[in-house]
Amino acid sequence: ATDNCSKMLNYRCSGCIAVGKPLNSRNFTKLLHSCPYQCDRHKVIVEAEDRYKNELRKSLICSKKILLTPRRRQLSIKY
Amino acid sequence: MFQGQRGWFCGSVSQDLRQFWVAEGGTVSDAEAAEFLFSCDASHPDTLRIYQSLDYIEDNATVFHAYYLSAVANAEIKNSVALGHFVLPPACLQKEIRRKIGSFIWEQEQHFLIEKHDEV
Ligand SMILES: [Zn+2]
Repeated sequence: ATDNCSKMLNYRCSGCIAVGKPLNSRNFTKLLHSCPYQCDRHKVIVEAEDRYKNELRKSLICSKKILLTPRRRQLSIKY
Repeated sequence: MFQGQRGWFCGSVSQDLRQFWVAEGGTVSDAEAAEFLFSCDASHPDTLRIYQSLDYIEDNATVFHAYYLSAVANAEIKNSVALGHFVLPPACLQKEIRRKIGSFIWEQEQHFLIEKHDEV
């Protein structure tokens, strides 16, 4: 029973209980980010997803750079 | 319960879960327009596309396991099921997350007879 209680407490961050506004796929991650007392479960998930997104962001920026380089060169000739 | 909500469904989600969504007032839409993104398999190409989208990178798209819908269907009080427990992270992260927090809730839903207690 005690184990169940601590489990319940662990689950009580704003990712676990909807506060005020209804949750959906569009606001959930932002809500979790703004939650100061994330439960262990959500903290681990958010940290892992953030790292994954950072990697993606980096690779996106790299591919954009490759795409933009010739255009930028043209621009700098104009200026 | 899902009146006026738009949901996107990965090809991995079974037909009866989609039907439940519609029966509860939800509509099925494409991923961009949907308020809810449901999948049963993080490595399905449909869902992979979400994980590689700008929406996802910018924290505007959380994929939820469609077992949320079966949990709602089985719950006595429908809106008592916490959507937040059904986050479906990219497949490549699941192993690491599982190591830290044990099985996901949507896995427990599936085989809730297997009780595992990892002492830290
Ligand atoms: Zn939580």
